[in-house]
Amino acid sequence: MIEIKNVSKWFGTFQVLDQIDETIKQGQVVVICGPSGSGKSTILKCLNGLESFQEGDIIVDGQSLKDPTTNLFKLRQKMGMVFQRFELYPHLKVIENITIAPIKVKKVPSKDAAERAQELLARVGIPEQADKYPGNLSGGQQQRVAIARALAMDPEIMLFDEPTSALDPEMIKEVLEVMIDLAKSGMTMVVVTHEMGFAREVADEIIFMDEGRIIERGTDKTFFKNPRTERARDFLNKILF
Amino acid sequence: MEGFDWNVITANLSFLMQGLATTFKLAVVSITGGLLLGILVGMARLSSIKAIYYPATAFVNIMRSLPLILVIFWFYFLVPVIFGRPMGDFFSACVAFVIFEAAYFAEIVRAGIQSISTGQMQAAYSTGFTYGYTMRYIIIPQALRNMVPSLLTQSVVVFQDTSLAFVIGLKEFLRSASIVDAREMRSLELYTFVGAVYFIICFMMSKMSKRLEIQRKLV
Amino acid sequence: MLSYNFNWSIIWTAPYGEWMLQGIWTTIRLGLISWFIALFLGIIIGTFRVTPFRPLRVFGTVYTEIFRDIPLLVQLFFWYFAAPSILPKSIEMWLYRGLPNSEFWIVVVGLSIYTSSRIAEHIRAGMQAIPDDQYNAALSTGFTHFQTYRYIIIPFAVRLVIPPLTAECLTVFKNTALAMTVGVLETTFMSQQIEAYTFHGIEATTAASIVYMVITLIVVLLMGLVEKRLAVPGLIMRKGGQ
Repeated sequence: MIEIKNVSKWFGTFQVLDQIDETIKQGQVVVICGPSGSGKSTILKCLNGLESFQEGDIIVDGQSLKDPTTNLFKLRQKMGMVFQRFELYPHLKVIENITIAPIKVKKVPSKDAAERAQELLARVGIPEQADKYPGNLSGGQQQRVAIARALAMDPEIMLFDEPTSALDPEMIKEVLEVMIDLAKSGMTMVVVTHEMGFAREVADEIIFMDEGRIIERGTDKTFFKNPRTERARDFLNKILF
Repeated sequence: MEGFDWNVITANLSFLMQGLATTFKLAVVSITGGLLLGILVGMARLSSIKAIYYPATAFVNIMRSLPLILVIFWFYFLVPVIFGRPMGDFFSACVAFVIFEAAYFAEIVRAGIQSISTGQMQAAYSTGFTYGYTMRYIIIPQALRNMVPSLLTQSVVVFQDTSLAFVIGLKEFLRSASIVDAREMRSLELYTFVGAVYFIICFMMSKMSKRLEIQRKLV
Repeated sequence: MLSYNFNWSIIWTAPYGEWMLQGIWTTIRLGLISWFIALFLGIIIGTFRVTPFRPLRVFGTVYTEIFRDIPLLVQLFFWYFAAPSILPKSIEMWLYRGLPNSEFWIVVVGLSIYTSSRIAEHIRAGMQAIPDDQYNAALSTGFTHFQTYRYIIIPFAVRLVIPPLTAECLTVFKNTALAMTVGVLETTFMSQQIEAYTFHGIEATTAASIVYMVITLIVVLLMGLVEKRLAVPGLIMRKGGQ
């Protein structure tokens, strides 16, 4: 479904991605972990064209991102993204946050969009918050709305950029539960996270990155028990208390 | 110290109030015109087209490095040359103020749009929004809300700046007072009065703008 | 188009060129003197506004509000025309007749006070941006309130407010132009004198404009150097790519 072919990216002279090569199949849940600055958020944002790259190619559903004729905006409708800082639109109500894209981009009639939005809010566990503004919600609730907003466009792939890093500890669980639920329903997901509990539960593949390179790959069974590389061992030591 | 004599104010009140009316007229024209032109220039400052960006940036930087009083003189000489005939103090002053204040409004507009985090643009893009839709439904509504306090503050500044039209003889509030002063020699009462009136007006305007900002933050 | 003969040479031919130079020198002196007095006063008043001591706070607030809500030109007129009549007759006479360049010094008073109220506002904002725990940390090591302000808070706040202070410094130099209305022979005044004598207003005003633009450039460069020398790593955040 997504083929990342030898992607490299530089910010000026600083190399941020170094020959990233990976294939993500439909229905797979891939977790990317690694220290800060390892390039994991960058490669994620390359997948839906929010970041550009100089070398290599990314092919999503048969469409190459390097191809100038590819319509990025249409492609993004197939991919949903959830951000570290939620990025809900503060001037719109929760329900409007979810319905605005379907209404304006896919021309869905507002009644249908609103119904669908309520279903999604129920699915993420907060149907009663529909008419509130994001500022009145807790972090965990906001992030769940963000997931609903991304799901509203019926994406085939969901991208998560450190979805729980900005949350207070007691709210991480409610968001992870929604994500686990999503994974078990068969959604293709690429998740940048440090939450190893989540990885153990649903990840099909775990990718460890450092300094722009993929250092190690494994499954939840192999990666945690027997990390093969020194750096991966070092990293796991630091984050698993 | 001679005795305070407020009669000079009451006796000339209608003349002074006419001056105040002129001040208000000039301020309203300057704020409106300056804001409209400022929005255009502010957006030009964000353009990626060099032919639009560079002139706009040069305009803003030049205007912001010049004293307003000099710009007023500039247009006082330039306007008759451009239009081929004398156009009157008020018109020249309006042209000078609109163009000058536009540079300041432009910076407020630019900062307002830039203050919206890139995350908001990325979030909108990730759901398939185009640049135009993103600006229209997500960025600009938020930017306008953020700009209101600065726009109000700048409007108070413009209101105070109108006193500089004094130098080309425009009979605004300050000049009206100095005309009376030349006749009656009652500087203390007159300029205290002018100061007090300006103070009351500007103080109320900035209190209102602070209240608006607090209300906005509660939303 | 009204016919207008451009004659740019009037800017440097004598005596107009010398007038301009004299005007530029006056502008520079007026700006620098007013700026430093305003900085000194502004830091004090700004500090008043954040002390726990209520009378000082009230004084600072009143001071700031009054001088910010009245146009500078009105304030200058007040100081020049109105204020001396409050003073005892003897001082008033000395001011108008005895003191050479009394206009210059009266403008210094007016401009310094006006600018100091604006600087006070920036200082207040800077101080309030400093976390409370900084005060607490200093006090807990035995500093008095005065020492805390002098060694910890004020240096910190000054660095935070360098960008707005740069803007104020530019504003001071631009505001020196208002001194022409009370007869101070500075740049703008001179340019209009030249116009009165030669009727070449556009050239004269352009020359004055260039002077102010150069001054602006110099101030921005100098303040940039000051900022670099005083910079605390990580404190002044620059907009960068993520």
